[in-house]
Amino acid sequence: MILRRDHVAGGVFALAGAFVLAASGDLPFGTLGSPGAGMLPVSLAALMTAGGLGLLAQARRSPALAELSWTDLPHAALVAALAAAAVALLVPLGFALTGTLLLFILIFLIERRPLVPALAFSIAATGVIHTLFSILLRTPLPRGPLGF
Amino acid sequence: MPSILDSLALGFSVAFQPDILLYAFLGCLVGTLVGMLPGIGPLAGISILLPATYALDPTKAIVMLAGIYYGSQYGGSTTSILMRIPGEASSVMTCIDGYAMARKGRAGAALAIAAVGSFVAGTFGVVLLTLVAPPLANFALRFGPPEYTALLVLGLVFLAYMSSTSLIRTLLMACAGLLIGCIGIDVMTGHFRYSFDIKELGDGVGIVPVAVGLFGLGEILSTPSHTVADKVATPRLAELMPSREEWRQSAAPIARGSVLGFLVGIIPGSAHIIASFLSYAVERRISKRPEEFGKGAVAGVAGPESANNAASTGAFVPMLALGLPTGPVTAVLMAALLIKGIAPGPQLVTEHPEVFWGFVASMYVGNLMLLALNLPLVGLFVTVLRIPYAYLYPLIVMFCIVGVYLVNNSVVDVWIMLIMGVVGYVLRKLDFDPAPLVLGLVIAPTFELSLRQSLVMSNGNWTIFLSPQRPIAATLFAISAALLALVALSWLSRRDWRRGMAEAEAVEK
Repeated sequence: MILRRDHVAGGVFALAGAFVLAASGDLPFGTLGSPGAGMLPVSLAALMTAGGLGLLAQARRSPALAELSWTDLPHAALVAALAAAAVALLVPLGFALTGTLLLFILIFLIERRPLVPALAFSIAATGVIHTLFSILLRTPLPRGPLGF
Repeated sequence: MPSILDSLALGFSVAFQPDILLYAFLGCLVGTLVGMLPGIGPLAGISILLPATYALDPTKAIVMLAGIYYGSQYGGSTTSILMRIPGEASSVMTCIDGYAMARKGRAGAALAIAAVGSFVAGTFGVVLLTLVAPPLANFALRFGPPEYTALLVLGLVFLAYMSSTSLIRTLLMACAGLLIGCIGIDVMTGHFRYSFDIKELGDGVGIVPVAVGLFGLGEILSTPSHTVADKVATPRLAELMPSREEWRQSAAPIARGSVLGFLVGIIPGSAHIIASFLSYAVERRISKRPEEFGKGAVAGVAGPESANNAASTGAFVPMLALGLPTGPVTAVLMAALLIKGIAPGPQLVTEHPEVFWGFVASMYVGNLMLLALNLPLVGLFVTVLRIPYAYLYPLIVMFCIVGVYLVNNSVVDVWIMLIMGVVGYVLRKLDFDPAPLVLGLVIAPTFELSLRQSLVMSNGNWTIFLSPQRPIAATLFAISAALLALVALSWLSRRDWRRGMAEAEAVEK
């Protein structure tokens, strides 16, 4: 059997619906006259499971998963991983340091742009954003061990 | 009782005071920037600047804060068109055709059409606010929970009807959005739902992290820089004005978007978002060339951008005339007035005419200011496209992180944005349109509340939605049913199950 796009899509939605149904165990469903906290989410989850199964049933019409273009996956995974690292470091290191590092790594290491422009852009852009939000708008961006 | 013209004259005498003009300008400028910056919507912008208005008198405060609101509707189009990132949620639909126009070298034209459409719709909205606010507000007053439920169902069905993907895909995405909207404390019973002991999820999942993740980060993840270098348009100055044909194509969508947006705007809910979705649906459906939607249709920019501006003005009708906030933004604006000891509502016009009419008149002036701000600066905004993508996308990633963090100062929100970015990437691969998910999330609280209230009101009798005593709800449900029947008919006529099976078998071989 060929694994097709809608096998994956339908399976994911059916499983997601089943997961929500399982996680709704302690939510009261109530009655039509007195609907509980679980009525809408459980109904939606059941609908989602049914929809996912419906998609699975007609998956043979969709293209094979291997036919989809996945050439952008390595870049996407790298950017997502770096963004996740930046989010994890945002509070411990502070915005200024994290922001500069994120920009520099993406521009210099991932995009392979020249060192000096990449460094200058990273510092300048972070500085402008820091000035705009922390100083002009007085909105609290996370401060690191260096105090900014 | 003074006539409307006398009252407007009083309003303009207030609005033309130099300090009021200054605060209107500041509000419009900040609003444009707030709308442009991904992740910072009008709610965050107004909330951040609310403390800055404590020292101002009520008229200046409301004029400035409202300027941020409707100014953000202008600015939101810029990032949607140039970067395919909704500067704020109501610009989601503009991303689709606005960005496609930009890729075809018509970024300037799209920005100009969005600015002019916003101006026309904004001014039209203020004229209606001035003239017909009382009867329209009375109409909205007749909406009870069954009518809200019916209206929101119609919104979802409209979306499914116009969707470029299949009905089942659209409904699955809407279900996912509604389910995400169920996360957090249940307002009717106090139950925690799906928060998995993460206390930040008790307040639910915000629209901003989801929208920025799906449409901002998701787009970045799907777009490797080496594929962009040759695709990004760098329009010349001569390309910044729409052609005569583009003006012609945008005129009717602007008019329709203005009317539709204002009507939707007076109904509680995130009207400016729903209005832009509905306008896109209408334009796509009535277009003679629906295949152009998604590929740079002028109507796909003009309609939604006009609708969201008209809706943001329409939202002031129940807030000012009835004291009913139609959404979180108008709730914060009401709070700004209440802090000053002024209660919005029927008494506002008689007890504080200078505030009411000064505010209304300032919106005429504000829309002119925004047009003057946005059209000459279109060229400046377009220069963003000239920044190499290898430098631009890391900056967008950082803006997404900072913008989402600043809404609630919450790292959990940023994680949600990140997860949604990855989800957005996967959804694109699997041919799902993320827009219904965002709409589902937006309407989830109102939908659930009105549905449950309707059932409680009727003691569990679901025919309340179709009862002759509820003609508005029944009509809205009838329209929904008709739209679904049309979808089913077109599906049946094109896809006979035998033919479908034969096709599938052929593919399998």
